[in-house]
Amino acid sequence: MSQKSELDLARVALLEAIRGQGKEWEVLAPCYGVTNPNPPWKTSLTAMCDSLDASGALPTLDRRRAEDELAEVVYNDVPAPESQLLALVHTMLNRGLVAEGELAGRMRTVRSRLEAV
Amino acid sequence: MKSKTIEKSQNNIGVLEEHPLGVQPRFKVGDRVQLRDMPYFFYTRSQMWARGIVGTIAALTYSDLVPEDEAFNVDGRVEQYYIVRFRQKDVWPEYPFENDTIQTESPERWLEPIS
Amino acid sequence: MTDTPKYGSSGADQCHKAAPTVDEITDFEILEIAVRELAIERGLFTADDHRRFTEFAESIGPAGGSRLVAKIWTDPAFKARAMQDPVKACLEIGIDWSKPTGFGTPSDYTHLTILENTPTLHHVITCTLCSCYPRPLLGMSPEWYRTTNYRRRLPRWPRQVLAEFGLILPPEVEVRVEDSNQKCRFMVLPVRPEGTENWTEEQLAEIVTRDCMIGVALPRPGRTADVAPVHKARRPVHSSHQEEGAR
Repeated sequence: MSQKSELDLARVALLEAIRGQGKEWEVLAPCYGVTNPNPPWKTSLTAMCDSLDASGALPTLDRRRAEDELAEVVYNDVPAPESQLLALVHTMLNRGLVAEGELAGRMRTVRSRLEAV
Repeated sequence: MKSKTIEKSQNNIGVLEEHPLGVQPRFKVGDRVQLRDMPYFFYTRSQMWARGIVGTIAALTYSDLVPEDEAFNVDGRVEQYYIVRFRQKDVWPEYPFENDTIQTESPERWLEPIS
Repeated sequence: MTDTPKYGSSGADQCHKAAPTVDEITDFEILEIAVRELAIERGLFTADDHRRFTEFAESIGPAGGSRLVAKIWTDPAFKARAMQDPVKACLEIGIDWSKPTGFGTPSDYTHLTILENTPTLHHVITCTLCSCYPRPLLGMSPEWYRTTNYRRRLPRWPRQVLAEFGLILPPEVEVRVEDSNQKCRFMVLPVRPEGTENWTEEQLAEIVTRDCMIGVALPRPGRTADVAPVHKARRPVHSSHQEEGAR
């Protein structure tokens, strides 16, 4: 049975730090002359949503309800698909599927890894 | 469980109608039905706009388990799903256009027959 | 809408330059990778599943739907088969709804349903609950389709919303909204427009755009691309029993 979880609309420091930089694809792509309508990570995000639903870790209906509310209240000035990504992570943090501290740490590790190439 | 293909209903809807042998659909195309207004405690796929409204069976679709998020009757029974059609004027009292309609899908257990 | 990057347009030497790319790694990109890695490590899903669903997401687009409609328009026997069993008809044109798991994806399933328009009946599709969409046939849903703005207003004020897409229908035409709230996935079969007699399937497919198969546009000769809706309002108009002023 799907659990009704209380959605915590309080802003998440880690996500607030990410959104404040003006690096959304719809801003960035034109600067570089790129006309792809979506960033390269969009299909991976889509796959992540499908995977979470398939495994039962985060059913689509629950995820979308949270996303609707978050997109209206917290991330209402963030364009898609960044709003979808932030809402997903926000929801996963709420539900204890991942933790903010470890996510911040992993982001540092991933950035070092990618920039070392 | 084997499924049996039935003649598609002529209703501008192209869909493979199927139900397993032994599942007798309660309703047929054209029957008048009402969507039950049920309490719900969990997320449900029965929208608020359709509850308590009388509509018409537009098509039979597939048979499936009813979503587990119903507040009662979690019995694992496979049942027929339907497309139900409503007049917009019956859903929204102030809707201005006579002919417009709206359709949605429903499992059998959410539907009450209306004579 | 093309997914290929645009090449520089000034001077012949531009033809040999690599396509422009976004040369920086944004925190969004990093965030997606980080959360995915943690999710896999915590067993929320497997890397294999993610790879399969990524391949699926990268393989889909609206071309399949366009070809399906064009074939239905030109081949009456195929149309009869398609209306009888739409998923099997898709297989005939190379679209397999059972991918990637063998029984579809967890949000597309295998119950494609075709809604046939007539000169007096116009269908338009939404999913008020979560924006379900026939991805194997039409690709990823457009952003406006996912917004609460579209999903809440279309069932209530369909003609108003259609007008924002430039589509105005006379009152005698029945506008039929389809709210796909269960496992059926819907596609609109538009009326073949005048002026397309003797067209090939390829020519017809070109004018059957994604928006025509959602129901917010009508196909017509010369119209080969979808346009964004006029009002990209973020706040939905909440349904109430009060009189609503003119849009």
